[in-house]
Order: sequence, then C-alpha cells, then structure tokens
Amino acid sequence: MGEFARLNFYCDEHRCINCDGCSVACAEAHELPEYISRRKVITMNEGIENMEYSLSIACMHCTDAPCQQVCPVDCFYIRADGIVLHDKDKCIGCAYCLYACPFGAPQFPLDGAFGTKGVMDKCTMCAGGPEETNSHEERELYGQNRISEGKVPVCAAMCSTKALLVGDSAKISDIYRERILSKGHGAKTQPYGWDVAYGKKL
Amino acid sequence: MKKRYLALMLLLSTFLFGAKADSSIWGNNLLSNILEYDKEGSLHMGHYFTVIQSTYIQPMLLFVLIVIPLAFAAHYFIVGPKVFSHSGKSIMVFSLFKRINHALAAISFMVIIPTGIIMIFGDFFGGGAFVRFCKGAHAIASPLFMISVIPMLLTWMKRMIFSPKDDIRWLKIVGGYLSKEKKPIPAGMFNMGQKIYFWFVTLGGLVMIATSVILYLVDFELGIFTSMGLSQIDVLRISALTHNIIGIFIVAMFMVHIYMSVFAIKDAYKSMIDGTIPEEEVKILHSSYYKELQEKGEV
Ligand code: HEM
Ligand code: SF4
Ligand code: SF4
Ligand code: SF4
Repeated sequence: MGEFARLNFYCDEHRCINCDGCSVACAEAHELPEYISRRKVITMNEGIENMEYSLSIACMHCTDAPCQQVCPVDCFYIRADGIVLHDKDKCIGCAYCLYACPFGAPQFPLDGAFGTKGVMDKCTMCAGGPEETNSHEERELYGQNRISEGKVPVCAAMCSTKALLVGDSAKISDIYRERILSKGHGAKTQPYGWDVAYGKKL
Repeated sequence: MKKRYLALMLLLSTFLFGAKADSSIWGNNLLSNILEYDKEGSLHMGHYFTVIQSTYIQPMLLFVLIVIPLAFAAHYFIVGPKVFSHSGKSIMVFSLFKRINHALAAISFMVIIPTGIIMIFGDFFGGGAFVRFCKGAHAIASPLFMISVIPMLLTWMKRMIFSPKDDIRWLKIVGGYLSKEKKPIPAGMFNMGQKIYFWFVTLGGLVMIATSVILYLVDFELGIFTSMGLSQIDVLRISALTHNIIGIFIVAMFMVHIYMSVFAIKDAYKSMIDGTIPEEEVKILHSSYYKELQEKGEV
C-alpha cells in the first residue's frame, strides 16, 4: 500500500455465498453486544433464478462522509488512509449519522433505564478509535485495532471465497477489472456501492 | 372534557406500540434503503437531510439567537416598556387550572428550549457527557409539555379564534408597541400576537411531540407511513428535519413571548402566577375584553 492509499471495501456479489462468516467474525473479534452487527450479509432477488446474489455490507468509509457532515458534535474524523472513525466520548447518540448514511451503517445500543439510544457504533475498518492505539480503553470502546498491527480487517481476512476485499482503492479496482474480464459478465463499471460511497470515479 | 382528553392520550399512546420482530432499519429494509439512496424516483431524503442538517440548521438558529435579542434591545431603548401599576385594582382572568397548565408548559419549555439549543450547537459545547445530559433532560421534560398542551389547547381555544375586527387593526398598529402612548388597543382576552403564539406552540407543539416520539423510538414501523410508501429511515429523516426547523421557530417565538411578558409590558408575567391583570392594563391592551366585562357588569 502506498503512503496515500485510500482504503476501500469491495464485495464481489458473484463470489459471496451468504455464509455470514464476516459478520460473525467481526462480532467475535470486537466482542460486540448481541444486537449490534457492524457487518451484514444481504441477499438480493431472493428465489429468482440467476438473479439471486448476496453482498456483505458495513460502513463503506465514504469520501466526503455524509455522517461526518451532519454530526452535531463533530465527533468524526477521517484518517489520511480514508478510514472514517468517530469519538465515542463525544457522541451523544442523536442518530443523525444514521439518517445521513447511504448504507445504514451506524447502530445504537440501548442505554440506561429509559431505553434511549446510546452512543453510536459502526465498523472501524478494524482501526480502533481516537484512544491510545492498542490501549485497553480503545479495545473496550471500538474493538481490536488490527490496522495498527499491519493486519487485514478480520471480516475480509476470513472470507473463504475472497468475495470481500479491503485495501488500496487502485488495487481493488484492478482486481475488480480482472475478475470482470476473466468471467466476462457484468455490464457494471465499478463495484457495488462505490458511486455513492466514493463518488463516480473509475 | 375529561373523556375527550383521555381519548386523545390513548391515540397518542398507540404510537408506542408499533414495534415488530424484524428491524425496520437494519433488517430486510436495509437493502431497499441502500438501493434507493438519492436514486432517481426516490424522495432524496438522505441527500436533503445531509445538506439541510449540515449547512442550514446551525446558521438559522444562530440568526434567531442574535437578531431577536438585538430587536428587543432596540425596542427597549428606543420605545421602552409599557408600565401598568400592579398596586391598584386588578381583574381575575386566569383560573387556577389554566395557571397550572401554563406552569407545567412553562417549566418544560425552560428545560426543553435551552437543551435543544445546546444539542444543535453540540460541537460548540464539545459534545460528550454535558450534551448527553442535556439530551436526557430534553427528553425527560417533554412529558410535562405533553400533559399540559392538550388541556391548554382545549381551555383557551375559544378565546384564541381570530376575530377580524380587532385582529387586523391590531396587526396594522403592531399592537401599539411602537409607541409608549396608553391608547386603547383593539384586542379581546388575547391579542393577535398572543393568538399567533398560541396556535404555533400548541399545534406546532403537537408536531414536535409526534416527531420527538419517532426520534426517540427510532426502530419501529407504523402502518400509516408504510401505506404512504415511506420507509422508516425516511420517516426518521423527515422527523428530524421537521423537529429542528419548527424547533427553531419555537425558540424565536418563545423569546418574543418572554420579552413581551417580562419586559415590554412590565411584569405582565405575574398574571400567570396569581391569575390577575391590573384593571388599567386590561382597559388599554385588551379594550374589547374590557368592554365585554363592562357589559356583563363584572367591572
Ligand atoms: C416543543 C416541544 C418539544 C418536545 C416535546 C421535544 C421532545 C424531544 C424528544 C423526546 C427528543 C428525543 C430525545 C432522545 O432521542 O433521547 C427530542 C430531540 C431533540 N430535540 Fe426536541 N422537543 C421539543 C422542542 C425542541 C426545540 C424547541 C428544539 C430546538 C431548539 C429541539 C431540538 C431537539 C434536538 C436537536 C433533538 C436531538 C435529536 C434526537 O436526539 O433525536 N426540540 N426532542
Ligand atoms: S457508510 Fe455511512 S457511516 Fe460509513 S462513512 Fe459512509 S456515511 Fe459514514
Ligand atoms: S449519533 Fe453520535 S456520531 Fe452520530 S451524529 Fe449523533 S453525535 Fe455524531
Ligand atoms: S472491517 Fe473490522 S470492524 Fe469493519 S466490518 Fe470488518 S471486521 Fe468488522
């Protein structure tokens, strides 16, 4: 990865077999509460022959992230490598980020006796949060920080069909083109969701 | 009266029981929500929410918070307050029941409005525990408003109906507030300004309550919205925008309300504590009401 690489997700709908492994691996690795799942696998056109396919979706770490634009307490920050993170100490759980998000990524644990929404949780691309890197606090609040250790995010690392990829956007685009060419299918010019998340590039 | 009130509360409480097994946001709907985001034929609510919330809400509220106090200061120093002696004869106008309702609404607004402003300027206050506390206080104070708004609406409604004869003349002379002269002003028990405020906070208040319940519950589904083809996420977006925009108008009107009752008409707020208004104040500021009382022989 180059120094200024932007990290993007890509899920290949022709490879994903809807095993839910990514979602389970994420929840286990980060010890998420049972009602939060940062990554979800979704099946489209269920039951329609040759049209059914599945996709794994989490926060896409958008360029110009809409969540960051609307947050009333400005608790988001975007790292140089494009990872969109937020500060749980600042978050007030207003859910505006969810309303702005194209991917329904932000989620809210129930908080306290009144059952109001607590502070927001979403995929960190396994890069932790603003606390000291790999500290106990960071792990408690945001889960593992695998990026700091040079590891691939756990969901993509364990994907058995290598449908779910994460990495430098240029490299991912190359892999995408290669796959499209070798299989000869798909009129789409870019991976699913990229136009919304990263602008109409490619 | 009591029956009607109960029926209304029951209607409101049905809002609370819309939950279903599958999540309306992160469940099967997630997919169609993603596919529709800002696509042709969609409501584009995600886009509108992002643009309006990120660029207009804070400046609009800031404008209100700066311009209205400046206008008050100008009025106070150029025209000055109207002063009516509170030591002379007074007329009993507001029953204890009305005053209690008003007090509940007043207490709730004194919490709801500052905390709402703090949440909108959450970044200025640094977010975190303080703003989270305000969010909690905002929600806890809401039921006080919810229980007072309907009795207030029902008991004052009749007196708040617009009467063209007085109200248009009142508007033309801006209620006589541009001069200090004590000339009889065309107004019944409530003047045009009070009527506008009343309808805005009661009807607007009901909209605030409805949107706030939606924002509080987040993940539920109501048949009336689904039958309109609205996804729950769009309902939330519309509710948040409505809550904030009407909220800003309510902040503006509340500030005017306080200024009028405390400063512009010196100590007028006291009528909501003991229920009485100085006879001279009624005679001048509510001349039609005074005539009505004279005809009934009550003064
Ligand atoms: C008139 C009566 C009002 C009622 C009954 C009301 C009630 C509520 C409730 C119950 C919530 C949800 C809190 C939560 O999610 O925990 C809320 C949120 C909010 N209100 Fe109000 N409110 C009112 C007026 C206002 C005003 C005047 C403003 C602005 C100046 C305002 C600004 C906000 C904001 C910024 C939120 C945050 C959104 C959220 O937490 O979901 N509200 N309100
Ligand atoms: S996917 Fe949603 S939460 Fe993630 S960066 Fe984009 S807008 Fe923010
Ligand atoms: S829920 Fe938290 S992160 Fe999301 S917009 Fe509100 S304060 Fe910001
Ligand atoms: S990148 Fe990490 S946090 Fe994000 S979905 Fe994958 S495992 Fe979960």
